[in-house]
Amino acid sequence: MKNLLEIKDLKVTFPTDDGFVQAVDGVSISVAPGETVAIVGESGSGKTVTSLSVIGLHNRKVTQITGSILVKDKDESLDIVSAPLDKIRSYRGRVVSMIFQDPMSSLHPYYKIGSQLAEAYLVHHPGKKEEANKKALEMLSLVGIPEPQVRAKEYPHQFSGGMRQRVMIAMALMNDPAVLIADEPTTALDVTVQAQILQLLKDLQKNLNMGILLITHDLGVVAQVADRVHVMYAGRIVEQGNVDDIFYSPHAPYTLGLLKSVPRIGSRGSERLKAIPGQPPSLINLPIGCAFAPRCEYISLADENSCENLRPQLLGNSDSHKSRCHVPEEKRDKLFTAEIKGART
Amino acid sequence: MRKNAISTRVLAALSAGALVSTVITVGATSTANAATPKAGGTLYFLEHTPRLDHYDPSRIYTGRDLAFMNSFHTRTLVAYNPVPGEKGTTLVPDLATNTGVPSNEAKTWKFTLRPGSTFEDGKAITCEDVKYGTSRVFATDVINDGPAYLQSWLDIPKNADGTSTYTGPYKNTPAGVAAFNKAVTCKGSTITFNLNKSIADFNYLATYGVISPVQKKLDTGDKYDLNPQATGPYKIVENSATQLRLVRNTKWKKSSDPVRTPYPDEVIIQFGLDEEVIDQIMLEDTIPNAVNFGGPLPTNRDKFFKDAKFADRRMNNSDPYARYLAFNLVKMPCLEIRQAMYYARDAKALLDYAGGPDYAGSYATGVISPLLATDFEATKVVGPSDYKNTADVIDATTGFKPSGNVAKAQAYMDAAKTKCPADYKKATETGIVIDGRPSASDNDTIPINVAAYARVGIKISYNLIKSGYYPTVMDATKQSDLSTSGWGADWANASTVIPELFTTAGGFNLSQNSKDPAYKAFEDKVNLAMKTTDRKKQAALWKELDKEAMKNFWVLPTLFGKAQEIWGSAVQNVFFWVPQGNLAYGKLWINQ
Amino acid sequence: MPRFILRRAYFATLTILLVSIVVYGVFSILPFDPAALTCGQKCTPAIVEANRVKLGFDKPLWQQYWLFLSGIFLGRTYGAGSAEFTCPAPSFGYSFNENMCVTDMLAEALPVTINLAIGAFVIWITVGVGLGLLAAKFRGRYPDTISSVFVLLGTSLPTFVTGLFFLIYVTIKWKIVPLSLEGFTPITESPVKYLQYFILPWLTLAILYAAFYTRFTRATVLETLGEDYIRTARAKGLSERVVLLKHTMRAALAPITTSAGLDIAGLIGGAIITESIFNLAGLGRMTLQAVYEFDLSVVVATTILAATVVITMNLIVDIAYGYLDPRVRMK
Repeated sequence: MKNLLEIKDLKVTFPTDDGFVQAVDGVSISVAPGETVAIVGESGSGKTVTSLSVIGLHNRKVTQITGSILVKDKDESLDIVSAPLDKIRSYRGRVVSMIFQDPMSSLHPYYKIGSQLAEAYLVHHPGKKEEANKKALEMLSLVGIPEPQVRAKEYPHQFSGGMRQRVMIAMALMNDPAVLIADEPTTALDVTVQAQILQLLKDLQKNLNMGILLITHDLGVVAQVADRVHVMYAGRIVEQGNVDDIFYSPHAPYTLGLLKSVPRIGSRGSERLKAIPGQPPSLINLPIGCAFAPRCEYISLADENSCENLRPQLLGNSDSHKSRCHVPEEKRDKLFTAEIKGART
Repeated sequence: MRKNAISTRVLAALSAGALVSTVITVGATSTANAATPKAGGTLYFLEHTPRLDHYDPSRIYTGRDLAFMNSFHTRTLVAYNPVPGEKGTTLVPDLATNTGVPSNEAKTWKFTLRPGSTFEDGKAITCEDVKYGTSRVFATDVINDGPAYLQSWLDIPKNADGTSTYTGPYKNTPAGVAAFNKAVTCKGSTITFNLNKSIADFNYLATYGVISPVQKKLDTGDKYDLNPQATGPYKIVENSATQLRLVRNTKWKKSSDPVRTPYPDEVIIQFGLDEEVIDQIMLEDTIPNAVNFGGPLPTNRDKFFKDAKFADRRMNNSDPYARYLAFNLVKMPCLEIRQAMYYARDAKALLDYAGGPDYAGSYATGVISPLLATDFEATKVVGPSDYKNTADVIDATTGFKPSGNVAKAQAYMDAAKTKCPADYKKATETGIVIDGRPSASDNDTIPINVAAYARVGIKISYNLIKSGYYPTVMDATKQSDLSTSGWGADWANASTVIPELFTTAGGFNLSQNSKDPAYKAFEDKVNLAMKTTDRKKQAALWKELDKEAMKNFWVLPTLFGKAQEIWGSAVQNVFFWVPQGNLAYGKLWINQ
Repeated sequence: MPRFILRRAYFATLTILLVSIVVYGVFSILPFDPAALTCGQKCTPAIVEANRVKLGFDKPLWQQYWLFLSGIFLGRTYGAGSAEFTCPAPSFGYSFNENMCVTDMLAEALPVTINLAIGAFVIWITVGVGLGLLAAKFRGRYPDTISSVFVLLGTSLPTFVTGLFFLIYVTIKWKIVPLSLEGFTPITESPVKYLQYFILPWLTLAILYAAFYTRFTRATVLETLGEDYIRTARAKGLSERVVLLKHTMRAALAPITTSAGLDIAGLIGGAIITESIFNLAGLGRMTLQAVYEFDLSVVVATTILAATVVITMNLIVDIAYGYLDPRVRMK
């Protein structure tokens, strides 16, 4: 297996009081060494559910998961969907690590930073306490925390938000994982700090040659670090492509909507941001047609009634750039590219 | 007052009373008497209250506690004979060699001490020790709660307010000490008491610890109550919040004590047990060597008395209390209203509430209890002519009917309407106020009384006094129209009943009857009775006085009470000891 | 930290002083006359007056309070003439019902109550936290159901029912635990008698409190399990056991400790019902008895003691919280 991570046709269903929620529906994503793959979408689009599936954190007793998630560890690979829990646990934090959105609440408030880091090492290297402590200091220093010896003896609340996210990153990297899942790693941070953290991730990736699966709703972040992008809407991927494809010639109306709703530095002051009208649909009993149809401006360009009645397939003229839409790709390519250019001048 | 007015806490504590030669005990065992007593073992008394009121001999006044302490721990000059039946009320010499020798028209009493008696520390008991013990009760600010007869009877000058000029051994004046030294004298081993009047039954007071030896150098005042020196066969080794533990007093010699025959090695009162738990222990016989010190709960009485398996372990006896409501004559001067209140009352409903004749007793005929056999006779003025009769019929002589003689009561009301209209108006319109305690039983019986009196148009209401009941009702300014009360004799003589309840000199006069037209003649007759040393003539006078008090309706007599006793299967030789109205504790032995 | 403790201790002392003034004032204005209550058979006004002097109620209220307060530091003398005696410092007064210095009474009662409270605490915290953890771990499954039945029973059965049940059935009828008649025996003297004396009272109290703590622990653990840092712990690859017993319990410890500290204080202030049923001569029973008998000096002393225990426990809990929660410690 060339890729470090291969998600194939992942479907995740939760039971709720109102019925089954199809949170993720047929998602396939792969991450290669040294590559940063982003999943973009609004909250509720299924991006976090996808990321948690990769690390096997869903409660298997209530959650139905199908498809496969192959994770490569040196010569062997493991299917997270079907593997026994013990086995998955041995991968967590070692092969696949994760950092979370809110560094404020993601660190245990009652334990010292050093011991929380060391614990991450000790889980997979039982009894090696000294090494763990050494590694903890090393990682703290690697993520740019000054005076790691002093700081290791402090508690999370003594750190600023950005510093805490550095700590989280350090903790995630304690076992030199192959894949790092970063779930909204900068959302809770100040903009200046955001840039530092992203830069740090980039630098670390280069040094360690790991694959990063970046979950975010922030197109700015995507533009900064991602190699390839998957745009999710209502549990499905509506468009995927490399970062230039997505930003300069989006093919899905939803992607276009997202891009138009983001302010640009240097844009004309009189220009208004254009929000996507309407609300994301409920994931219980999704319409049989295109999930985005109720909010879509371009229905008239498609075959009559196809948007309402037919689920669009993820297709594209090139292997790398695919999208779901009933409007013919040629029409979209021209129209959407023009709209983006228009918006940017 | 502590002893004889029925206290809320120690209703089961019985006081003295004379023997009724007829059967007063039901189901008392006699089988044990046949066996030979065995020494050894521990005798337990299971008790709900956290301690006895007092242990200091000068301060004990509750009948049961007195019987207990005198049986085991404290010797007195004379004692009641611890035998069943009538003989139990006879006095026998204890520390003294005789039961007291009166002279000078019973104004002087002499007792001679028996040689060989000692305290628990081995010191021989001398006349001076008895004299010192006698002096302590005068220190009313330290030694309280005991009987106060000595203060009023010993020939010592009194202050204007009636208190003694002698103030006890702790803090006093030379004049007071001199007066006391004259009133109580020692000559060798003979102690002499000089009284200010003739007291024919002074030697009965000598069964109380107020006349008992106390070593001056060991007297710790108030704290002496915790661990008084033993003179009897047992001494206190532990006196805690959980138990009073008595062990054998090795200095006690059988040869010097003609009264006591100690059997158990240890005697323990286990305090503070839940009453239900005590009954369960008795029902299961968990501790066979234990006595239920307070008697069974009303709710458990049937379990013991209707089950043959407890035949040898139960006793249902009369208690020595006469219960009554005292009319406050200052507020209730109209005789007819008082009479109407007596006849309108539903005594049957109240007796049934209390457990019926089987457990609660019979209708009172006066304030002298049947247990005071010599002085008792049904007054035939109130109550049934035969005091044991509890049938709900109109008594031909007295007109009393347990459920109320409404016609007779109405007739008195009609008479009152013309004779004393103001009082009639008060009874029917303003309403009559009765002092009571806020106990469950008092609360439950209020509706019974309200309904009964409504039958003749009398309105009543209650003044429930939460704390300090007797001090409150004894304060003439605070007493209501009627006060709930009860009284038992201090010893087998109505001299501790009639004068106490109905004369101004008495300690427990709730009737405020000094202004009553009949009072003067009554008081004269009381004084005559007090002087009369011929016991039979004296008894006749007490009977007449009981009758007269009832005729005047100074009180509203209600009940001659009953009490129940239960003990474990290993407790032997249980019999009813009349003087204090309970078991002869000192005679019990353990079948091991 | 030391400054924090000092400041808190200072305020605690002030509060105790204030409580003592209020308690003393309230009990002194109650509408009954202790001098009349302790009066003997022939209760003349002169005797009542003598009693008042003997009890110290003849003085103005502030002076009585001052005597009470100074007695704590200097001891206090009662009686007069050759019957004079002293309750040495710290004196909390003298009980004329019990003929004892209140301090001596407290010294007898306190060990009983403390042993009762601590033993019950050990049982309830073990059972309560254990069951609560099990219930949280197996949420919705049968250990959770069983524990919720226990919670329902434990919280709805009053202690006098469980207490009487234990005493009447377990001891008297079934004779499983022998009836303890000897009173309090220190564990150092005889562990068997000690256990015999305390086991049923412990259980009686522990059932009630364990039920509360089961519910409390379950709720706290479930809440903590939803925290982000628990997800982090799982993401590290930690086993569920470590997640639950280390990370979750560490976080649940602070609220449980706070609650337990105050509950122990409450018990020392008086497990009145349990002490009464099992006839344990502790503070609760002593207070109850004193209230029945209007034994003012005892009631005042035990009330102030109970308040002091609660205030002190609060202080200890606050300090402990500082150690348990590093976020509080630094402030």
